[in-house]
Amino acid sequence: MKSAVIRANERKLLLMAALVLLCTVGYLLLEVNLANPRLLAYAMKLRVPKVVVMLITAFTIGGASIVFQSVINNTIVTPCLLGMNSLYTLIHTAVVFFLGSGSLIAVNANLAFGVDIVLMGLVATVTYSWIFQKTKHNVLYVLLVGTVLTSFFGSLQSTITRVMDPNEYDALLTTLVASFSNINSEIVLFAVVLLAGVTFAIRKELALLDVLTLGKAQAINLGVDYDRCIRRLLLGVTLYIAVATAMVGPISFLGLIVANLSRQLLKTYRHSQLILGSALFGMIVLVGGQLLVEHVVSYTVPISVFITVGGGLYFLYLLLTRKKV
Amino acid sequence: MQIQKLSKQYDGKTVVDGVSFSIPKGKVISLIGPNGAGKSTVMGMISRLIAQDSGLIHFEGKEMGKWKSRELSKRLAILTQSNHIQMKLTVRELVTFGRFPYSGNRLTREDQEIIDRAIRYMELETFEDRFLDELSGGQRQRALIAMVIAQDTEYVLLDEPTNNLDIYHATNMMKTVRRLCDELGKTVILVLHEINYAAFYSDYICAFKDGKIAKFGTVEEVITKENLSEIYQVDFEILNIAGKPLSIYY
Repeated sequence: MKSAVIRANERKLLLMAALVLLCTVGYLLLEVNLANPRLLAYAMKLRVPKVVVMLITAFTIGGASIVFQSVINNTIVTPCLLGMNSLYTLIHTAVVFFLGSGSLIAVNANLAFGVDIVLMGLVATVTYSWIFQKTKHNVLYVLLVGTVLTSFFGSLQSTITRVMDPNEYDALLTTLVASFSNINSEIVLFAVVLLAGVTFAIRKELALLDVLTLGKAQAINLGVDYDRCIRRLLLGVTLYIAVATAMVGPISFLGLIVANLSRQLLKTYRHSQLILGSALFGMIVLVGGQLLVEHVVSYTVPISVFITVGGGLYFLYLLLTRKKV
Repeated sequence: MQIQKLSKQYDGKTVVDGVSFSIPKGKVISLIGPNGAGKSTVMGMISRLIAQDSGLIHFEGKEMGKWKSRELSKRLAILTQSNHIQMKLTVRELVTFGRFPYSGNRLTREDQEIIDRAIRYMELETFEDRFLDELSGGQRQRALIAMVIAQDTEYVLLDEPTNNLDIYHATNMMKTVRRLCDELGKTVILVLHEINYAAFYSDYICAFKDGKIAKFGTVEEVITKENLSEIYQVDFEILNIAGKPLSIYY
């Protein structure tokens, strides 16, 4: 038995999927000489990996943001609070500062990705699993720890950049902006395997998301092992964000936008639909945005500028129009 | 359900101090007492939302902690005071969650029938597709009770169910509590502030003072001038109305 809301939402999701397809095809084929197979092959070689990375990133950030908001039980939190963005920035700044921009870790993308993943995974596990247990499963403490860590990493990073050689800083700056270019296929494959592993590990908890949003007392009433469930989901979300950030750079602010767009459009509590909607919105924003970056403003503005400016305005709008606080 | 020497401390201050009593089956039992007497904390421990520091709760022949949470949720339903639900949820969708312990996210035809019955029982048919945040406090409370009915448990625990309700809705709430017991055969345990509601609608009353049980017994045994004056430290007069001891305090 399907209610009218579910069916209406399925239509909306289909429409969004069609839009994603349109953006993707548009991105792949715009300004390509279709008559010349060699030029076409060359363009595809450049564009297909980028599109794949964008789609994966959008899915990861979009899905993780919805789960994160539901776990915290607040729809205006952003997964930036988990501190992964600033940790990424710190790691990369520290590597360039201590080892030099020509060092192996800075130059070899696979190695850099590996270092990012290990460090972020470590911080994620300690903060969002261990501390969570230590604080008797108080989500707010964990958020506070995340916020403090974010400023801590940020301060360390800015201290380093102050004493850094300007030329090195210049080289560093390009890696600190989210980018979809130059990501090799090994990293993408590794990221997909990691994401699949995390998803598999928390598959049972994901099915409980709808019940969790009823609040702690109701969830326990309905037989959910609340603390364990929240802990595993929080850890899973952080690892998700960590993988996406290690892959493309600081991007988790995107999550706030797409998760709320999804909630606004679908008006449901069903997480299967919310997550899908959020992921599709992410794909539209990223692929559509990159299309604009490459063909309208011809690379003068990076996509993260659009995301931050647009996201910031949308965030203000959300704060001002929220009825209840 | 048997409660043995239950204790709980917060920051070194003893809130509940060696509370023991057993809950008779198929009755309405009200926990009353002044603020800070520990009644809500005892309720929280019975409903496994708060962990006790010491003491045991025997439930259906097994210690509470040994039950699987899922199994317990088929036998014991909890309704707390704070029920602010962030999600956009219709009445029917909320009631549907009552079947979660049985069927998870996949509902059977039987589940649907039970949900229909629960909605009819609480006379919510005309609201069933309305969103919860569009309802009045009384209607929302009825929707939550419908969910508890759909959960189909032998025990129902209600923490101050009349809180924030006006006289009309609070009285209807108490009548529903009575029906849950008389018509559906449930054991209902509730925390109440209004002594007269407790006196009129319950079978047993457990009165708390300073973290201990001051009096436990039938309504007639507990609601006396002397007992209430001692528990609340105010003057009481007891009137006998409709065969129930109702109290006036000033």
